[in-house]
Amino acid sequence: MGEFEVHRVRFFGLVPAGVRCLACQPRGARLALARTDGAVEIYNCSANYFQEKVIPGHEARSVEALCWAAGERLFGAGLSGDITEYDLAGLRVARSLPGSGGPIWSMAANSSGTRLAVGCEDGSVKLFQVIPGGIQFERNLDRRKGRILCLSWHPSGTHIAAGSIDIFRVLDVSSGQTVQRVMVNYQVQKVKRECVVWSIAFLSSGTVVTCDSFGRVQFWDWERGTLLESHTVSTSSVLSLAVSEKEDSIIVGTSTGATYQFQLLPVKMGSLEKRWVRTKPFQHHTHDVRAVAHSSTALISGGLDAQLVIRPLMEKVQKKSYDAALRKFTFPHRRLVSCARKARLLLFQFSQHLELWRLGSTDETGEDGEVLPLRRLPEHLVQLKSKGPEHIYCSCVSPCGSWVAYSTASRFHLYRVQHKGDSVSIKKVPKVPKLLLPAYQLQFSADSSSLFVASARGSVHVLQLLEPGGCKHLHTHRPPSESPEAVYLLAVSADGHWLAAAGGDWTIHVYNLKCSKHHCTVPTYSCAVTALAIHPLTNNLVIAYSDQQLFEFSIPEKQYTAWSRTVQSCGLHTVWLERDSPITHITFNPKNPSHILLHDTYMFCVLDKSLPLPDNSALLMNQSTLKQLPETARQRQLHAFKICKKFQPLLFADLLDEKCLVMVERPIMDIKTQLPLPVQQKKFGT
Amino acid sequence: MARRLKAAAAGKRGPPAALLGPPSSEDEADEAPEQVSFGVAKEAAETQRKLVGEAARRHRELLKEKRRRRQELFAEQKKRKLLPEAVLQELAAAPPAGLAELGKPALATAGISCVSVVLGSVPALQGFTSLYLTRSKGNYTAVCLKEQSLTPGLQQQLAKDFINTQLYGPGTNRVQANEFFSLENKKNPVKKAAVQFVDKSWGEYKNSK
Repeated sequence: MGEFEVHRVRFFGLVPAGVRCLACQPRGARLALARTDGAVEIYNCSANYFQEKVIPGHEARSVEALCWAAGERLFGAGLSGDITEYDLAGLRVARSLPGSGGPIWSMAANSSGTRLAVGCEDGSVKLFQVIPGGIQFERNLDRRKGRILCLSWHPSGTHIAAGSIDIFRVLDVSSGQTVQRVMVNYQVQKVKRECVVWSIAFLSSGTVVTCDSFGRVQFWDWERGTLLESHTVSTSSVLSLAVSEKEDSIIVGTSTGATYQFQLLPVKMGSLEKRWVRTKPFQHHTHDVRAVAHSSTALISGGLDAQLVIRPLMEKVQKKSYDAALRKFTFPHRRLVSCARKARLLLFQFSQHLELWRLGSTDETGEDGEVLPLRRLPEHLVQLKSKGPEHIYCSCVSPCGSWVAYSTASRFHLYRVQHKGDSVSIKKVPKVPKLLLPAYQLQFSADSSSLFVASARGSVHVLQLLEPGGCKHLHTHRPPSESPEAVYLLAVSADGHWLAAAGGDWTIHVYNLKCSKHHCTVPTYSCAVTALAIHPLTNNLVIAYSDQQLFEFSIPEKQYTAWSRTVQSCGLHTVWLERDSPITHITFNPKNPSHILLHDTYMFCVLDKSLPLPDNSALLMNQSTLKQLPETARQRQLHAFKICKKFQPLLFADLLDEKCLVMVERPIMDIKTQLPLPVQQKKFGT
Repeated sequence: MARRLKAAAAGKRGPPAALLGPPSSEDEADEAPEQVSFGVAKEAAETQRKLVGEAARRHRELLKEKRRRRQELFAEQKKRKLLPEAVLQELAAAPPAGLAELGKPALATAGISCVSVVLGSVPALQGFTSLYLTRSKGNYTAVCLKEQSLTPGLQQQLAKDFINTQLYGPGTNRVQANEFFSLENKKNPVKKAAVQFVDKSWGEYKNSK
C-alpha cells in the first residue's frame, strides 16, 4: 500500500483549560460545559456525545455557574458580577446584565425554568425573572454576612437553600426571609479552619444535602435544623454535588479527583425505610473535580485536568452495548492545526495566539519503524498574538503558506507572509471587508486565490485575495431556506468549482463557485457532521458523522456514490462504530485516487475503496498480522481499512506529498505536568 | 475620729467644746472623750482637707494632661495625612473646572477602578474632600465612567484570592506534578524513571556560563 516518511510533531503545546461547570439540559439531550478560561461548550448526548458547539472564552470572563432556563436558553454567571445569556446559534454572548452584588458565585434556575436565583459575594440572594428577550431583576432576598457559594431551589420553588462559609441558610421565596440557619461545623470545634460549604442540593422531601471542605457529605432536615446523616468520603474537600431527577442517586466530586455515587436504598429488602448509602467510588480524574452532573442514564464529571468523563449507569442501560462504555474527552472535537502542504508549514491555534512552524527535513531513508535523524530541525517561525481579550474562534493558513487568517468574536485579521530565504516576515492586510463577525471557520482555496469565511445564518462569504496584500469581498452564498444556525465546516474542491458547507442544523449545502449559485443539499442525516472533504479528482464529497458513519456523495451527480451505498448496505465494522472520538480531518492522496485518509484522536486510517469491506467477523485492525503473513495469505485477508494506532493522541494528521505524512501528537502527560497542583495521594511504601 | 470632728465642727459655732466638756448626756460614752484643743483639731482638719484637695487637683491635672496629649497626637496624625499646606492652598486656588474633575470620582459609584487611581495620587482624599465640602455651591457634573471590564476590581481579586487559598492554600496537601505522576513509575514491578526526570533548569546555568 505504501511507505511513508512520518513527521512526528510533538511541539504543539496545547494545554486545554480545566472544566469548571456542567449543566444538563432538563428535558433535552444537551450538556453545557464551562471551562476555567471562560469557554462554553455544548455536547449533544444523543449524537454520541459530540462537541457540537464551542463558544471561545474571554480574558475577563470567568464562569462560576451555568444553568439552563426556559428550555433552550443557557445562562452563565461569574466573578465579574454579570449574568450573561449565551446565543447558541451565533456562538457568542447574547446579552449581559450586571448583578450588582459583587462577584457571583452561584446561580440556579427553578424547576419550571422561569426564575433565576443568584448568590453573590456580599451575601445576598437575588431573584431574576426569565422573560423573552432577557432577564429582569425581581427582588433581593434577605441578605446576611458571608458569601453565598452555592444555591439550590426546592423542586416546588417555594424555598431556596444557600450555602456559605460555616453555615447554610434556607430562605422562603415569597417572604424573602431566612427561615432557618444551620451551622455546618458544630461538631469539629477543635479545628480552627473554617468549613466551606461547596455545594448544596434541596430534595423534595425537605432534606438538604451539603458537601463541605472537610470532606463530608451531610444530609439535614431543614425544618428542625438537625443532621440526619453524615458521610466522610475524603480527607480533602468535596467540591461538587449533583442529584438525579428522580432524587434517588447523588454524585459528588472531590479534590483528589475521586467521584462517589450515593444511592437511596431500602434498609432491608422490601422495607419502606430508605437510607442514603455510598455505593460506587470512581477515580477517573487526577485533579480536582469541580463540576459534576447527573443525567438520566449517566454520571458526568469534569475535572481541572481538562477531562470530561461520562460514566453510563449500568442499571439504566438496556443492553450491553457501546452505550454502556465509559467515555473520556480531553481534546476538542475540531481541528486546531492547519497545514500548508507545499510550504511544509503548520499553523497551531491556541486560545490567544497562533504559532507558525516550519517542519524539519531529513535526507536519509530507512526501514519500517526506524527513526531517521533530522538534517534540519523544525523552526518556530512566527508567533501571532491576538489583540484584545477575546479568544480565537478559528484560523487557517493557505496551502502555499503565504496567507494566514484568524477570527475572534469581533475582529477578523488577515496577514501576508513573505518568505525570504530562510526567514519569514509577516504583514497585516489593512483593509479587510466588513463582515458579520465572528467567523466560525476559515478555508483557503487550493490555489490560495480566495478565502472562504463561514458565517452566521448559514452564509459563506467568498473573499478574493489580491497581490501584493489585499482582499476584496466577492460574493456571499446563502442556503435556499433561512436557517438561524451558523456554518461550522467548510470544504473546497481542488479545481475551485465546488464549496460544501455544513451548518449547526446538520445540513450540508453545496454551492457552485463558478456561477455563484446553490447547487444541491445533501440528504439530511440524523447526526452531526464532524468532517468534510472533497476529492480532488472525482469531486466526491466524503462526510464523517458523529456516530462514526461515513458517506460519499457525488457532487456532479447529486447523489450518493455506489461505494457509499455498498458501505451502507454492508454496514461498517462494529469496532469502527465503537470508537470514542470523532473523525476531525479527511484528506486524499492525489496519486492514489481510491485512497481516503482520515484520523481521530486515537487512530489514523487509510481507506482503500478498491479493496473489499471487512465484515464483523474479520479483524479490523489487522495491519500487524498482515505484516507477518506471506504474500498469498495476505491477499486473502486484505480489506479496505488500514488502521495505524502507533501515533496517539493525535490532534492532526495530513499527507504532505505522496511519500510524506505529518502527525501532530499531544501526549497526555505533557499536559498534566502543566496543570495546577494535584492533591497528594499517600501510597504505602513510597 | 468622727466624734472629734463633730466636736471640732460644733466648736466652730460656739465656745470650744473641749472647754465646755462633753456635749450632752446622750453621749453614753464609757470613757471620757479625748482632750483635744480646738486649734489642734482645726489644723488637723484643714491639713486633711488640703491633702485631699491636693490629691484631687493632681488627679484632675493628670487627666487634663492626658487629654491634651491625645489631642495633640490626633492633630499630628491628621496633619501628617494632609498634603503640605502649600499644595493644599494651591489646589484650593485651582480653577473650578479642575476641582470638578477631581470631584467626579468622589461622586462616582464604587467598583470603578478609577477611584483607586485617584486615591493613589492624592493620598489624603479625606483631607481634600473636607476642603471641597466646605464649598456651599459647587458646579460639578456626575458622569458614569467607561466600563472597566478588563481590569478586575478589588472585589473580584478578593474572590479569586479566596478560591486560591481554599483550594491551594496551606493545609490543602498539594504536591508537585512530577512527584504525583512518578508514584506509579516507582511502584511498578519494573521501576522506571520519574515523569520529568531531567530538571529543565540545569541547562540554564550551563548556557549562562
